[in-house]
Amino acid sequence: MKWITARRRHPLAGYVVVILALALFGVGYAALAPTADQARAQTLAADAPSQDDVDVLEGKEVFDQTCATCHNYDGSGTANGPDIRGVGPAAVNFQVSTGRMPSMDPDSQMPRKPMAMSEQDLQNLIAYYNAEIRTDDLGPDIPYDVPDEAPDRSEFEDEAAYEAAVEEYQTEYEAYIEGAEDTDMGMRLYLTNCAHCHGWSGGGGALTDGRWAPEIHAASPRQIYEAMVSGPGAMPMFSDGVIEPEEKQELISYVKTLQSEPDAGGIFALERVGQVAEGFIAWVVGLSLIIACAIWITAKQRAHD
Amino acid sequence: MSKTTQAPKALRGVGNFIDDRFHLAKTGEKNLRKVFPNHWSFMLGEIALYSFIILLLTGVFLTLWFKPSMVEVIYDGSYERLQGVPMSEAYASTLYIDFEVRGGFLVRQIHHWSALIFVASLVVHMLRVFFTGAFRKPREINWLIGVAIFVLAMLEGLFGYSLPDDLPSGMGVRILQGVMLALPLVGPYISMFLFGGEFPGEDIITRLYMLHVLAIPALLLGLIVAHIMILWHQKHTQYPGKGHTDKTVVGTPMFPAFAVKAGGFFFFTFAVTAGLSAFVQVNPIHLFGPFTPTSITSGLQPDWYMGFMEGSLRIFPNWFDLTLFGYAIPTAVLVPGLVVPGLVFGGLAAWPFVEQWITGDKRAHNVVDRPRNAPTRTGVGAAGVTFYGVLWLAGANDILSETFSIDLYLTTYIFRVLAIVGPIVAFLVAKRICLGLQRRDRETLEHGYESGTIQQLPSGEFIEVHKRNSEETAHVLKSKPTITSTALADDADVDDKGVENPEARKGTGKIRRALAHWYTKDNVPFDDVEEHSGHHLHHSAPEGEKEAAH
Repeated sequence: MKWITARRRHPLAGYVVVILALALFGVGYAALAPTADQARAQTLAADAPSQDDVDVLEGKEVFDQTCATCHNYDGSGTANGPDIRGVGPAAVNFQVSTGRMPSMDPDSQMPRKPMAMSEQDLQNLIAYYNAEIRTDDLGPDIPYDVPDEAPDRSEFEDEAAYEAAVEEYQTEYEAYIEGAEDTDMGMRLYLTNCAHCHGWSGGGGALTDGRWAPEIHAASPRQIYEAMVSGPGAMPMFSDGVIEPEEKQELISYVKTLQSEPDAGGIFALERVGQVAEGFIAWVVGLSLIIACAIWITAKQRAHD
Repeated sequence: MSKTTQAPKALRGVGNFIDDRFHLAKTGEKNLRKVFPNHWSFMLGEIALYSFIILLLTGVFLTLWFKPSMVEVIYDGSYERLQGVPMSEAYASTLYIDFEVRGGFLVRQIHHWSALIFVASLVVHMLRVFFTGAFRKPREINWLIGVAIFVLAMLEGLFGYSLPDDLPSGMGVRILQGVMLALPLVGPYISMFLFGGEFPGEDIITRLYMLHVLAIPALLLGLIVAHIMILWHQKHTQYPGKGHTDKTVVGTPMFPAFAVKAGGFFFFTFAVTAGLSAFVQVNPIHLFGPFTPTSITSGLQPDWYMGFMEGSLRIFPNWFDLTLFGYAIPTAVLVPGLVVPGLVFGGLAAWPFVEQWITGDKRAHNVVDRPRNAPTRTGVGAAGVTFYGVLWLAGANDILSETFSIDLYLTTYIFRVLAIVGPIVAFLVAKRICLGLQRRDRETLEHGYESGTIQQLPSGEFIEVHKRNSEETAHVLKSKPTITSTALADDADVDDKGVENPEARKGTGKIRRALAHWYTKDNVPFDDVEEHSGHHLHHSAPEGEKEAAH
């Protein structure tokens, strides 16, 4: 305490206090702030669930409780939400599994969130949607052959079952990603159709009218696929006729391979933001350090004291 | 003990041999004893010099493997992800430097970081020269050379950025071509000439390469050498201080003290650059992928020094686009692409002459101004920095919009308003701060400085003891020049025979007088200040404390 008392009038004391306070609030906020992007779904990429595994009646219950307020009981939409009878189960799966639906505020763009319901509830909901809401099989189907998110430990009772599921998932994931061999095609498709909103790295970007293109790193291959076929929000729809499933596989593989690519240039990759971050570092770290050295080597006793 | 110490015989032999032939001893002694004033802000230009040397060295290394060719090849190098992808030889050879040349990745990153730091240090150095008035006579020519170096450095950086033919390269070149096309009448011809046909053609990389490794560096090197030789000849400016006059320079001699400092400073600059390059990824061309004319991405920017051009392109409205005789005049590209940089660099180049015209000051200045003592100039500088800064930020508006969750359109409107209001506010605020600091200087000169010691007088009153300024401080404070202009002198309107000066009645004369008034009107006068005279009774320590009495 004496050490502090003796130095409380030091010319730099004020700055030190401000920096400490800022650091405290910054770190405190970072620790406490909710992380909206951490979403986890629990399906294993697999075939469509069989009729025995789903319960249409429970699906109706989920629908009536969480969806019908805005989309109406028959899915025909209200003033708050659109008609979803023709959007297809891929759209339902995408919106619910990425936590965007149910939405808290229908007037604003929904960020990616943890899924609001259990995996079983989602399966039941989709079964109910297919059975009762969907009209004439309109809209894209769920691409069950594209891998979804990695299994979650909490869905399994013992470690062995979990590990087996993870292994199965990884085999399937790698088969899908490595099944794509034409990097050039995937790259051209991505850079021509996707990068002008989602950015070259998939890190997302700003759009007009206050909207934004989300980061796609957290999305599973299946979710990316579903986003393409269903065109959520401001995103255009890329049906399987426009970009064929094999091309989609190349595209998704390009995105995921680039994402998992190590940053060869150094341990600090600046979030792959690029030149804005680099310019910031050049000034704030590079030039500042060099100038600090200039001050150091030309320092002399102050005139006053 | 004799006073002169003789050099060892071996050295003397070599020295005499050289001196007998080149007569270097006298020049050498004179230059080795050259005096450099000691202040950190005089080292800023050296950062640029050292960065330039690093750029030359690393650049030579990179040319050993880089192939400036747009011939399409199928990549089969060691970077697995892009194997089988068609790309230009330029891009493939850059990947080769990154992944197959030993140390190539590090050297390329040093080259890039060094370029970013090079231009940044140019800017900081230029701001130091501006705000201290070191551009004044006799140094106007060196200032102009500095502006030319700045412009060339930007172009050099832009062309270097374009060479690897990766995704951002191509996008940068495309914007460059867009600005060219916007030129009325000649635009398309210039573009076709530079690209050897339609964009992107097959020549542009080769041509930019020539500019980047030969033409512009040669010009830069020549200008930098001229800059330093003029500095050497004219000697360094110095801050006001005891014994610092327009005729004497006070500081450290070149050899050994300054040479050691400067040499060490080179290694520090290199260490910081190399440290950044080792740990922070810069321009990861292998992640971007090769450029194709259909590729486009959000969130990519030019390097920072082109940011203000990007920003002015982004925020300038298209309200003034017009069509003349069937030809479109895209002012939304022309103005930000040519007029704005013209204003920035033209304004920089013109300022020394404008200021000289306003003040009529034709004297040589070797002692620089403290920024506060030239409040209008400092205000103008602050306005310029703000204008540049707002445009620079606007160039990153999509990143800002996404990072801080602000509507993208809103950022455009904010920057449009700020680009106009910001400089005005900055001018007023900076000027007021300068005047405030002048008032504080005046007070310090009158009262001494606040010692932080509180004393209770026998009457019960508490006072803070003011102590006498050191001679150095007092000298610096007293040396504040009064800013005047010959345009405002009593006899400005009439000559020595009482005849009215026709110049003063013309429009330019009136403008000059108005500007002179604007330039000189706000100033805290120091003429009547008597040193350590103020508040004798109230603020001095009780008798007996000699050091505090005044």
